[in-house]
Parts: sequence; structure tokens; C-alpha cells
Amino acid sequence: MTRRLRLIQVVGLLVAAAALALFAAGCGGGGDESAGGENGGNAGKTYPLLRTVWESPDYMDPQLYYTVAAYQLANYVWTGLVGYKHVAGSEGATLVPYLAESMPTISADGKNYKFTLRENLKYSDGRSVKASDFRYTIERAFKMDSPGVGFFSDIKGVSGPNGYAETKKGRIAGIITNDAARTIEIQLDQPRGDFLYILGLEFAHIVPTGTPASDQSTKPIPATGPYILKSYTPNRTIELARNPNYDGQIPTMPSGNPDRVVATIISDPVASYQRIVSGQADYNFNTVPNDRLPEAQSKYKDQLRIYTNANTYYYALNNKLPPFNNIDARRAVNYAIDRNAIISGVYGGLGRPTQNFLPPGYPQYKKIDEYTFDLARAKQLVQTSGTAGATVDVYGPQSGQSRAATEYLAGQLEKIGYKPKLRLLGEQVYFQSIGNQATKAQAMFTDWYQDYPHPLDWFDVLLNGDRITQTHNNNPGNVDVASVNKEIDALKKIAEITPEVNDRWAKVDRDLMVTYSTTVPYANLSGTDFFGSQMDMSCYTFNVVLYWDWGLSCKK
Amino acid sequence: MEGVGRRRPPFRFGSRRLGRKCRVATESTTDFTLDSAAALAAEEHGEIEGKSPWLLAWRRLRRNYVALGFLALFVLIVTACLLAGPYADHIAKTRPNEGHLGETFTRDGKQVQIVSKGGFVGDEFTAGGIPVGPQLWHAGGKYVFGADNQGRDVAVRLLYGGLNSLKVGMGSAVICTAFALLLALLAGYYGGWVDWVISRVFDLIWAFPVLLLAIALGTALAINGFHHFGINIEGGSLWIPTLVISFVLIPYIARPLRGQILSLREKEFVEAAVAQGASPLRVMFGELLPNVASSVLVFFTLIVANNILTEAGLSFLGAGVQPPNPSWGTLIADGQDRIVTAPWLAIIPGIAIVLTVLSLNVFGDGLRDALDPRAKVRMEH
Repeated sequence: MTRRLRLIQVVGLLVAAAALALFAAGCGGGGDESAGGENGGNAGKTYPLLRTVWESPDYMDPQLYYTVAAYQLANYVWTGLVGYKHVAGSEGATLVPYLAESMPTISADGKNYKFTLRENLKYSDGRSVKASDFRYTIERAFKMDSPGVGFFSDIKGVSGPNGYAETKKGRIAGIITNDAARTIEIQLDQPRGDFLYILGLEFAHIVPTGTPASDQSTKPIPATGPYILKSYTPNRTIELARNPNYDGQIPTMPSGNPDRVVATIISDPVASYQRIVSGQADYNFNTVPNDRLPEAQSKYKDQLRIYTNANTYYYALNNKLPPFNNIDARRAVNYAIDRNAIISGVYGGLGRPTQNFLPPGYPQYKKIDEYTFDLARAKQLVQTSGTAGATVDVYGPQSGQSRAATEYLAGQLEKIGYKPKLRLLGEQVYFQSIGNQATKAQAMFTDWYQDYPHPLDWFDVLLNGDRITQTHNNNPGNVDVASVNKEIDALKKIAEITPEVNDRWAKVDRDLMVTYSTTVPYANLSGTDFFGSQMDMSCYTFNVVLYWDWGLSCKK
Repeated sequence: MEGVGRRRPPFRFGSRRLGRKCRVATESTTDFTLDSAAALAAEEHGEIEGKSPWLLAWRRLRRNYVALGFLALFVLIVTACLLAGPYADHIAKTRPNEGHLGETFTRDGKQVQIVSKGGFVGDEFTAGGIPVGPQLWHAGGKYVFGADNQGRDVAVRLLYGGLNSLKVGMGSAVICTAFALLLALLAGYYGGWVDWVISRVFDLIWAFPVLLLAIALGTALAINGFHHFGINIEGGSLWIPTLVISFVLIPYIARPLRGQILSLREKEFVEAAVAQGASPLRVMFGELLPNVASSVLVFFTLIVANNILTEAGLSFLGAGVQPPNPSWGTLIADGQDRIVTAPWLAIIPGIAIVLTVLSLNVFGDGLRDALDPRAKVRMEH
């Protein structure tokens, strides 16, 4: 194999670029954001028990879980080669080596990544962490049909008719490991600017070779992080305890302050709020319901933190079906939406209006201010588009704020001259349904929370027309602008984030939202962290990727 | 024969073929609250001889002021709901599903925000989204019962919701009663394997808790509707909850009716009709049906109330009337998220349900007592 690759040490470059670029300002917790140094200034303030109220996670298996409810707890249990710096503010989006002893060396063409594992790494059951475990982990993800396998499609030997994704037999050719030398080499078919972030995802968190390729949520997999999953009883509790074999093996990660974490699963936000108020829990994962927010703000102001993480709530309009295959019709909807009114009425004020697809805080973000709420203009556009009177199937989830947001859309469509038909589906099947072309949804509610802080996670995953599929379509609006698709593909290959690259991403955003008016983004929502009175709020640390960093919490 | 001669079922309406009027001996001169024995005793004293059973029932009913009072209340509720359209167009000047987020209205010359504004000014957060409370008549008929979180007029939605609830409640009661009666007649008259098959079907439906079966059917049909056997019903149609409720409640009416008909089937007047060559249809509809008519009528009034409650439950759970169309159940569901800051959203439709169901139940009880003081008809689940 030709090795005429000019290898460069990119640790410094990546860290500096990320720190410079990602989440410069504004994205992150409001209120106190105790920075805290490498392990946070709160490291070492240990205490026996953190009692939390939590939402039900989807799984507690690193190759399967894909919800914040699982991720926020499990990021202290299983770890990958790289991970995020446990600090508040924009620096929290910086990748640092976790199980790898340093950031990788990347070939000049961006297609080859080389890692070396730290020495003497151990799982919580005492077994040694081997380089080959990484390959096994990725293969396990494919064998389990993990929701994250799409992220690994550019690894050599994965895609194509004989690729591992199809056959699930043999080995992934693009992952070469050497247990004795502790080295892992990953070869890609094509360069991918966000590949290091992908390696930071939970789907690449390393598990021991031989771990069954089936859901192990209730049979905890040995951990590499500072905590172990002691038990998980679905819909009841999750319990974490200290990893007896951790011994500070990942110095870039805090060892965590609570000795034990008990998460009681309560999905009803009112009941979980009440748990905190009555002193039965120290932290509420669920967002404080709108109805209790005024009370929480006035009576428990010191215990409440409001944060805005990277998310965008938007209405997808099917660009390939009438009436929204007409650009004026799509523009009309953009003018018909009063973004401030939705945030107040539907979300209780917990959000900020947006017309961008990319959330604020990204260095690629350039605020779009094009669509001032103007119902008369919207009606006029509908008339000129010749689509007035068209029937529109409006899809949304069956309950909660998402339903209210969908009802609002249907109401506004009626006001501007369409005949909306509201179709509300159960949450479990909603995204699957709108992601199926057979549904023929014309307008719909949807949202997105970042997997990792890179524009590719927004534009490539959600709005690249080349990635439209018949089922499980992440682009339910069938947005397909050839020139933009081409630009996304070009930007995908660029690993280095420069001001010029940022400008190009900003143009992609503007082209899709204004020039072609493909989609109707309306809000970047905020969430709440609500704490019991026993918690020391001076330790509060909100990480833009990891959310509230409970490992750095402390009690009074 | 217990000393009262040929005891027949109390009323045998339209039994012309046998040429004998039902010999109801006396009209009760006692208050309707007296027990059935007293009523029977009064009838046997011949005080009401020659009066038609319906007239006797009306005489009893008109003395029951409580029942009539609640009937008047029910009529008032129905009338108000029927006037939903004119009220929305001419007084509230909005439509039931028309949201007014971000808008204002005038009260005492001042502009009032329909749903309070909230959000961030810099990093400072203000909670918002609290809809305006009941204005009664201070805003010229607008927002009499306040607004919901979409800025929709609660009073308008309450009336339209009532109309939908009543349509579903009464529609399902009519369908349910008609099918129950038909099946009970078939099962009771023919007996044998016909009775066995029908009864097993009833058992099958009965084996499911009413609400769970209704939720399952309602949820399955709510989105895609029903498109089989040449019948096409769209997902959001009111026919879906109407038919679902009708279906799940059929055994609750049909079973007691079947029991009555089985008993009547053995009576001499039925045997006489058969002996005279009456066709099965003639016996079923000419002899048996008139004798269970009073029970059917009482069941009907009681089941309307029951169905309104069932509809409210289904709609509350998202398996009944589909948003944005209002029904009292969906209004309560919408209001529960704002029970602290806007309690009227859930309380007002709750009161509407209570009054409607109470009025129907009290009137139904009165009707039962009037039609048949001896009857023990009850809707029991």
C-alpha cells in the first residue's frame, strides 16, 4: 500500500480550530456557567448521592442509544477515542483525546486517521482495553442495525454491495488495529470534515470484544469511563456507581463528584417538577412545564437555570409536491408564521425566533432577517402562486407543544388561503411516518438537535437532496437544490475550519432558507435545569454538547 | 297468577292483531317517588282504566318537576350549542379553530394581549403564553370564557365542542340502540344457534373494557379512517368516534333487552300470535318490540349521557374527536397543561359535561319511573 502520505500532526490544529470556531458566544447556558479548567474547578468536591428525576432513555447500550436522556448520563460510563472537554461555554465543543493518548495523525488527503490507545486502560470488569475492541465496536453497531451506522458509511469497506454494511460478515477493511502496539488506523473512502466528531459519538464508544450484538441495556456492558451502569430498570430507575477500575485512566475527563447517581424515571413533567419542589430529588431532567414556569421563576429562581443548546424547530414543506413545489407558496408560509407569537404561546417564551436553519452559536451562523410576519403579503403570494384553495395535509405529533405548533401552522395556512387537514400521529411513529415518501406529507412539524457541533450534521443530514430516501428520510421536505447539494459535498471534504469555509456554510444556509425558501425554521428552543435546594449552584456547569455536566456538580 | 289475572308486560303498544288493549288497570295517583308496589296498587284500583300507556307515562312524568327541570336544562344546553354558528359569527366574530396568537383585543378602550408575550430580552427571560381569562361581557362578547394557548375563543370552542359532543353522543346512542334492539330481537325470538352466535359476539365485545376497546379502535381509525366494504370515512370525521362508541356499547343494551325478549317470547300473547300465523317479522316488530319500547326509551336517554362521557374520555385521550376540531373532551385535554395559570380552560368544559350528563341522567331516571314504575332498568358497566 502506498504510504506517500504527508502525515501531519493535527492535534493542535483541530483543538485550536474548534475552540476558535465552535460555539463562539451565546450558545450555552444562561446564568452561571462555571468554567472550571481541565476537569472543572469543581472537581474533587465529592458527595455520596445524586438523586435525579429523569426521562426514559431509549436504550442504555452505547451502540443503540440516541437520546439526550441516555447520552447525558452515559457519557460518563462508556467513552470513545475522543470526547468533549468538560468545561462550560464555547470551549466545551472542543474535542480532546479520551481513550486515545493524543489526537490522531491525519493524512494530508484527510482519508487516514491513526490513533494510539493510552497505556493500561481497563474496563470496569478488569479486562484490558484492546485496540481491536474499537473495530469490534463499530462492527457490533452494524450487526445491531444501530441508528448510528450511517455515520460510519465513509469508512473503507463499509459501503457498496460487498461492504460490511450489507454483508455484516468478515471484518471492516478500513479499520486496522494492532493490540500489541495499541494502534488503530482508520481509512476512509473520501475525506470527511466531521469524522473526528463522529468518533466522539456514542456509537463509537468502545465495548469489549465479544459483547453480544444485541441490546444489552439491562445487562450493563463494562465501562471505560469513571462510572459504571449499575442497573437499569426500564421505566423505573437508572443507577450509576463509581468504576472500581477507573483509576483516573482518562485524565482529560473529570472523575465525577457524586459517588452514586440514582435517576428515577418520571416522564410527567409536572410530577417531576413536584419531586424537586418537595425535596425528593436534587435535579429534574425534564423541562419545567410552561404552567409552572412563572412559579419556578419567582419562587425558585436560584435553583433554575435556562439554557439554549443547538437545536432548530422548523416546518418542513414538501418541495416536490403541490402546492409547495412552488417557491412563492413556500415564501408565503415563511411570511405567515409569527415566530415570536409561537414562542410565547406554544413554548411559554422558552426560545428565540430564528429564520436560519443553523442555530446561533455556530461560527458559520449569519443571522437571516428576511421574513417579517406579514399575513397580507403571504396571502398575496399564495394568490400569485396560483395555489390558493389547495388542500394541504399537515402532519404533527399527537400531543404536547409539538401538536400546538402544528395546529398553529394549520391555522396560518387556512388564513392565507389553503385548506389544511390536520393529521396528528403518535410520537413513536411520527418521524418514521413523515420520513416515508408514501405518507405524502405536504407540510409538517419537525426539529433537530445536533449530534455533534458541525454544519454537516445539519445541512448534509437534513437538507442534502442527494440523501433523500424512500423511507427513514431525514429530509421529509424533499429539499433538493442541485447547486447547494454540490456545495455541501464540496464542503464535506474540508476538515479545516477557516473564515472562508464558514462563509460558504453561511451561504448554504441563506440559499436554502431565502433564495429557495425551502423550509420554515421558526425557533431555537431553550430548556431548563431545575435543582433541589441542596445543590450548590456555584458548581453549575453547562456544556454545549454534554448538557448539564452532573459529574462537576456539588452539594452545599 | 298472583291474583292479578293475566299479568302481561306493562305496555303492549300496537298489539292490534290480537285485538286487545293492554289492560293496565290503574294509574298511579301517588308521587313518582313511591315504590313500584304502590304504583301497581294504584293502577289496580282502576283509576286509570282506558288511558293509553303513553298518556299515563306523561301524567307521571309531568309531576316529576326535578326531571322536567333537568330536561329544560338539557334543552337549553342543546339550544345554546345549536346557536354556536351565529354566536361565533355575530358576537365573538371568530371561528372555533381560528388562532389569534400575537394579537390583541379591546377591553374598556385598552388593547389587551390575547396570549401574554414571553421570551428573552438579552439573557433575561420572561415566562409567557398565559391566555387571557374570562372577560364575560366586558369585551363586547369576545373571550367571554377567555382564550386558550392558541388565542382561540374558549366560549366559541365550548359551543362548537358541545355540538360535536352532542352529535357524537346522540348519534352513537341512536345507532347503538337500533343495532342492540335488532340483535336482541333476533337472538330473543329465534333462540337456538342464532342466539348462541349473537350472544358469543356480545361476550367477545364485553370481554374488553369499554374504554380500552374504544381507545384501540379510535386510535387505529383516527388517522387513516375506515375504507372497507365500500364505506369510506375520513380519519378526522365525527363518524369515527360515533361508530366506535356505538360498537363497543351494543352489548350493554342488547343483553338486557335480549333477556326481556326471551322472557316475552314465552308469553301467551306471543304464542297466540304465532298460532294465528304471524310471520317472525310481525311477531318481532308487532308483538315483542312494543313491549320493550319503554325499556329502549329509557336506555336511550341514559346511554346518550353515557356516550357523551365516553366521547369526552376518548377525545381527552386523543382517540375521539380529532384536533383542531373541538369537543368537550379535547377542550379539557387542551386545558390540563395550563391548569395552574389558566384553570378555566379545563374547568369550563368540565362543568358543561357535568351539567349535560347530570341533566340526561336525572331526566332518564324520571322517564324510567314514568314509563314503568316496576322497571329496574339501569345502565351498568
